Amino acid sequence: MNYFRRLLCLLPGLLWLQQSIAQEVRVSGVVTSRADAQRVPGAIVRVKGTNIGTQTDPDGKYSINAHEKDTLQVTSLGFEPTFVVVGSNRVINIFLDNSNRKLDEVVVTALGISREKKSLGYAVQELKSKDISEAKETNLVNALAGKIAGVQVTNSQGNLGSSRIVIRGETSIAGNNQPLFVLDGVPVDNSQLGVGTGRDFANAISDLNPDDIAAISVLKGPNAAALYGSRASGGVIVIKTKTGKDTKGGMGVTVNSGVTMDKLLILPDFQNSYGQGTGGQFSYKDGKGGGLNDGVDESWGPKMDGRLIPQFFSNGEAVPFVPHPNNVKDFYVTGYTMNNGLSVGGTSEKIDYRFSYNNTKQQGILPNTGISRNTFAASNTFRLTPKLTLSTYANYVRSAADNLPGVDGRRGNSVTLQFIWFGRQVDVEKLKNYKNPDGTDFNWNHSYYSNPYWIQNENTVGLQRNRFLGNARLSYEINSWLTAAFRIGTDYYQDRRKYRVAYYTNGTPFGSYTEDAYAVSETNGEFTLNAKKKLGSDFDIDVLAGGNLRTNQYEQNYQQAPRLAIKGVYTLNNSRDPLVSYNILNRQKVYSGFASAQVGFRNYAFLNLTARNDWSSTLPVSYFYPSVNASLVLSEALHIQGDALSLLKVRGGWAQVGKDTDPYQQVNTYPFNTPFGSQPLMTVSDKYLNKNIKPEITTSTEVGIEAGFFHNRARVDVTYYNTLSRNQILLADVSASTGYLKKLLNSGELKNHGIEVQLGGTPYISRSGFRWDVNVNYARNVSEVLSLDADGFLNNYVLGSSGNIQVIATKGQRYGALFGGAYARDSEGHILVNASGRPQIDPNKKVLGYFTPKWTGSINNSLSFKGFSLGFLIDTKQGGSIWSGTNSTGMGTGVLAATMPGRDAENGGLPYYYDGTKNVQLPSHDATAPNGAVVKHDGIIFDGYTADGKKNTAILSAQDYYKAVYSSSLNESAVYDASFIKLREIKIGYMLPQSLVQKWGLQAVNIALVGRNLGYLSKHTPNIDPETAFNTGNGQGLETLQIPTTRSFGFNLNVSF
Amino acid sequence: MKKWLIPFYILVAAVIFTGCRKELDRININPNEPTVPEPEYLLANGIKSNVDTYWGSDATMETSLLYVQYWAKIQYPDPDRYIPASTNIQNVWNNFYAQGITDFTTLIQLGDSLKQPGYKATGIIMRSWIFQVLTDLYGDIPYTQAGKIETYLTPKYDSQKVVYNGLLAELKEAVAIIDANPTASVAGDSLLLGNMQGWKKFANGLRSRIALRIADRDAITAKKVFDELAAEGNIFFKEGDRDARLNYLTSPSQNPVGKNRETRNDYRISKTVIDYLQAYNDPRLPVYAAKPADGGPYLGVTNGLTADSASRLGFSKTSDVGSVFTVSQAPAPLFTYPEQLFILAEAAQRGLYNGDAAELYKAAIRASFKQYGITGNPVDDYLNQGSVKYDPANYKKLIGEQKWLALFSEGIEAFTEWRRLDYPQLKPAYTGVLSGKIPVRFTYPSSEQALNGVNYKAAVARQGADLLTTKVWFDVY
Repeated sequence: MNYFRRLLCLLPGLLWLQQSIAQEVRVSGVVTSRADAQRVPGAIVRVKGTNIGTQTDPDGKYSINAHEKDTLQVTSLGFEPTFVVVGSNRVINIFLDNSNRKLDEVVVTALGISREKKSLGYAVQELKSKDISEAKETNLVNALAGKIAGVQVTNSQGNLGSSRIVIRGETSIAGNNQPLFVLDGVPVDNSQLGVGTGRDFANAISDLNPDDIAAISVLKGPNAAALYGSRASGGVIVIKTKTGKDTKGGMGVTVNSGVTMDKLLILPDFQNSYGQGTGGQFSYKDGKGGGLNDGVDESWGPKMDGRLIPQFFSNGEAVPFVPHPNNVKDFYVTGYTMNNGLSVGGTSEKIDYRFSYNNTKQQGILPNTGISRNTFAASNTFRLTPKLTLSTYANYVRSAADNLPGVDGRRGNSVTLQFIWFGRQVDVEKLKNYKNPDGTDFNWNHSYYSNPYWIQNENTVGLQRNRFLGNARLSYEINSWLTAAFRIGTDYYQDRRKYRVAYYTNGTPFGSYTEDAYAVSETNGEFTLNAKKKLGSDFDIDVLAGGNLRTNQYEQNYQQAPRLAIKGVYTLNNSRDPLVSYNILNRQKVYSGFASAQVGFRNYAFLNLTARNDWSSTLPVSYFYPSVNASLVLSEALHIQGDALSLLKVRGGWAQVGKDTDPYQQVNTYPFNTPFGSQPLMTVSDKYLNKNIKPEITTSTEVGIEAGFFHNRARVDVTYYNTLSRNQILLADVSASTGYLKKLLNSGELKNHGIEVQLGGTPYISRSGFRWDVNVNYARNVSEVLSLDADGFLNNYVLGSSGNIQVIATKGQRYGALFGGAYARDSEGHILVNASGRPQIDPNKKVLGYFTPKWTGSINNSLSFKGFSLGFLIDTKQGGSIWSGTNSTGMGTGVLAATMPGRDAENGGLPYYYDGTKNVQLPSHDATAPNGAVVKHDGIIFDGYTADGKKNTAILSAQDYYKAVYSSSLNESAVYDASFIKLREIKIGYMLPQSLVQKWGLQAVNIALVGRNLGYLSKHTPNIDPETAFNTGNGQGLETLQIPTTRSFGFNLNVSF
Repeated sequence: MKKWLIPFYILVAAVIFTGCRKELDRININPNEPTVPEPEYLLANGIKSNVDTYWGSDATMETSLLYVQYWAKIQYPDPDRYIPASTNIQNVWNNFYAQGITDFTTLIQLGDSLKQPGYKATGIIMRSWIFQVLTDLYGDIPYTQAGKIETYLTPKYDSQKVVYNGLLAELKEAVAIIDANPTASVAGDSLLLGNMQGWKKFANGLRSRIALRIADRDAITAKKVFDELAAEGNIFFKEGDRDARLNYLTSPSQNPVGKNRETRNDYRISKTVIDYLQAYNDPRLPVYAAKPADGGPYLGVTNGLTADSASRLGFSKTSDVGSVFTVSQAPAPLFTYPEQLFILAEAAQRGLYNGDAAELYKAAIRASFKQYGITGNPVDDYLNQGSVKYDPANYKKLIGEQKWLALFSEGIEAFTEWRRLDYPQLKPAYTGVLSGKIPVRFTYPSSEQALNGVNYKAAVARQGADLLTTKVWFDVY
């Protein structure tokens, strides 16, 4: 501001000077914001190419002396620079458009340091609070989906659960590839605890209340995140919370209320012609094999044509066998989320303050599931003296759930498994009274399952999580250029889970009860010294040095009563066996020293250096992580800025960052096993650890170009990056004959390179205030596993598996290969069949696809007019694959509509009979078979070739055909292209006119309608959503009977006063 | 800053950093699991976990028990049709090597370092037993380089001959250790209850078992082993001795079969066993088989039915295995007195051992009956039947059938002895997928192809294709 004040002082003199040279005119007018028709005070109006300038007054008025045909340049923070040519009119009213890319835009970077975006030599992309809070996602990670180039979010199943986020592809073969989350400069936990327990517990970052977030800045890779050293390889998500400063005026109160409904987005397409049984036969007696095929949980039974058959509810009486087409759909309920929040904030000379409270109540789409969350946050800044400032932030989150949905096709807790192994005639309505008078369960099947309502109501998993996030920062301005700051921050939570399995549950006749409790904490103390100085008129220097002390602690206490002594009482004491219990305590400490320096030259050329050294307790020695990057704003340096070219910037950099390992990876151990009676048992661990373990090291190079055209109405930002990650920490499988199953290796290299493009445009702006913006994101990542181990014995590293199919990293290939049973083929690629006409399986597993997409992209359109806004977001992932358990299983069990072809004459089945040794095809359905053999009409011939090159002619029954093609060891048939285009989000917003709102004594009223995951514009996976995850690990690309995904519709009201 | 202070600053910095490093190293000491092993607990675990494997689902219920037609499947019948689940094959290998070989190798080392020869001897005997089971099942296996991860990440496979010969030498060494240390003792021994003489008898029993195993291939070595045993006094399990067996306890220390029956209902007794027991009027029938739930006569299930035909037989209309074998506390024998007698009977018949084959054969059958509390007249009646009576000309059939009946439910040893003696003559599973053959070994787990490929290929090249139907070295006929 000093500069402008000085400029203003000079003005009279300059004016006089100008006047004396040529004939001038006095131009005046009002500067107005086009979006909200508010006048803009403090805007700078300048005659282009001269030193003449002025500022608008509080009413947005200006007057300035200029020549005709001069160009007036109007700039103001938050608006696009606007140019107007002086014509004959002496009154020029100027409308400013909101800035799309402010040249002087400030973004939050590593360690919470704010930097001018133009000074950065790497890609960073930011989301504002509106984008986050209006998305109405209860899991914060989902709000990032499709909005940032290069960020991949894999949605959780159903409407409760976890989401995985990965930036720019995986850099660690085996480790966590999700970015570090940093809240107001303090790292916060995003673990998913309890993976593999059969429930999809939400990742920890979902605790945050989206309404408390002011901005999220995505540091996309090692280059941007280098200051985090050994935690930087996956990029960093920097979250800035709202403070009192975000409130307009002295004090503001905001009330937010929203409701969202969740409905199934997709459900498998079931057939409704054939019911339970096998070989066309079924009759119920006891549901576990006592009747005719009544233990069979498949739908290869009789036609559901009303014939009379004893069924599970008929007490032996033969009753009509009829379909219930919506039996699965009717089991699901409408989920909803109710979200109510209040915040009070304000600012004064000495204090900024903000308090907020939010209550979110969520009901799942499975009966009796849900979670509620209460968050309290307080953010205060105290300017204690002109030099000393104290900022504090405290956030308490309490999450509670009586029951969370089961996942992963487990018999005891997942109903999706039961619905894909199902009798299509089953009326779910009749299962609602799930208990018999004697307390046992009433179900259609007793061989494998308990009643699905029993599972939902009796076998529950409750959760209670108490979390405290807080930090305090004290900063002291030692002098005009030197500031010292000390910050301490903590993230602590306790998470208790209670698993109930009721008496009489199938497979666990005595039930069980488990308590699993976690305590997780991270504390960081950080000291920084920051010097900012101008050297001469050309150079700006900003140097920061500091140290950090981090302590992490993870504790788990697990106790299980494996068989209850009496039914209905869920305590650990109620056990007929000794308790199964274990506890784990992991601690880690890291000392760090770091420094960064930025040198700016004439505000258009910048050089940034960072360095960090981490001494971690998990590693035997310390490691150094440097980076360098530079930015050059060519448009300013070469003075080529104008009407056409608004910005041209090139940038580039190099960084080397790391990835730490878990505690206790150096010394081998001797764990205990469950005692034998009273005899303690101790074994040699099956993991052979590594005394000399090193961190994974990722070296990254990144270059980019940013340009803006036509007053930034067209914008482009392109980045190319290349990363090489070595010293991969692999707990590699070794031959058990070594005496161990796993050895901790420190080898392997993974390479990624890719391109990210962001295009932004404002195709249309009208004077009346109509505006249309388009943003396009595109990212392509190419990965290659260069090597796995130094000895070369390791061909594959398994990332995850489901039955026979595995997700692996394999040498020379893209990361995340799906590896499983493939068709055996001849040299021409024909599928080979065996003597019975079934497809043969290649004895060697093959790579059947890759879960990692080739590219991702999104288009976001937003239209605004006066107070109205409409936005819609379409996003896509292309070129990945997924193996579908729903299809693999559902085709074998005959429940899917896709098993109809060939099942009878009407559906193209071929006529045949069985001659005692093989099936023999008949010329027509009317033909009779010799010796009175039964003629069947469900014949199918697999399209394949015999080993001697002849076309297959062996005929199979439809049941045998589908069971063979979709057998659990033939995975190829259930691998699909996972590419999709999804209508991710539609938002309709209305901001009530200021005039009306002020009449009510309010500041602002916003109404929004939001639809999420509305539908597919394209997908290639029958019966399932190609986007599905059941945990946040690296074993993606497997659909293992997850709960179907949902679409949601929400309404939100936001009032501030 | 005064220049002369620089060394001081460096010193201070060095002290601080050394202190920090120590603090960091202290934090990284694992508080969850001991880093020093305790021999008693290691022995106890080694016994329990390997008997679990020997008696458990992977090596027994889903494989060898079906192949040797003791049990049959009434649900999920693929394994009974010779389509073993790859996880079963993998688990047998993984458990025996990574829990067995490593635990006992560590115990042997501890026996040396702690000067506790009892642990060394028991470690050698248990490890030898595991290697013997492994080579019985797979043929050529990693032996000389196994369990030495620091030196061999990809251990080579040794021929079965090398393995058996090595085991004979190791067992002899173990016996010598016991003899040389009369005061040696062990704790944590739920197999032989700390009786070192029992361990010696177990070791000698294994020596005689291996000698007989290789007799068709290498009669000279077999003879040499029996001569050595004779020279050492023929110390074998005697009547009334506690033989090598683990007496399981109640949940969670229950017999794997008992654990299976708590929640699953997948198995029935094989029709083959019922047929033999009925044909020979064997009084062990009510012990080996249970009556169907719906009542009626004993009804075994044919091995290798399809899922449909198996389920049509009905869960409640067919016989499960007798409760002696399916209760939680069912014992799990590794080496019994009756087996010892059968070995000696055959060794005598083959001229390897100095004894009366017929008498030993009868004693073996009596001992087997006695295990199940059957004594007196029924035994004599049984022994006097023409189909049971000993006939030297027909010893393989008689010993084969009777040993098979005596070893009932001890799947692995029975499967191995059936392969060697080729009696009883079994019919392949009804819808078996091996073109009318019965498995004669386990295939190597698929992990070996991936993780130890070079050595795996060498073993396959030497032994023959990695199939269920490829005979292992000892299996001459």
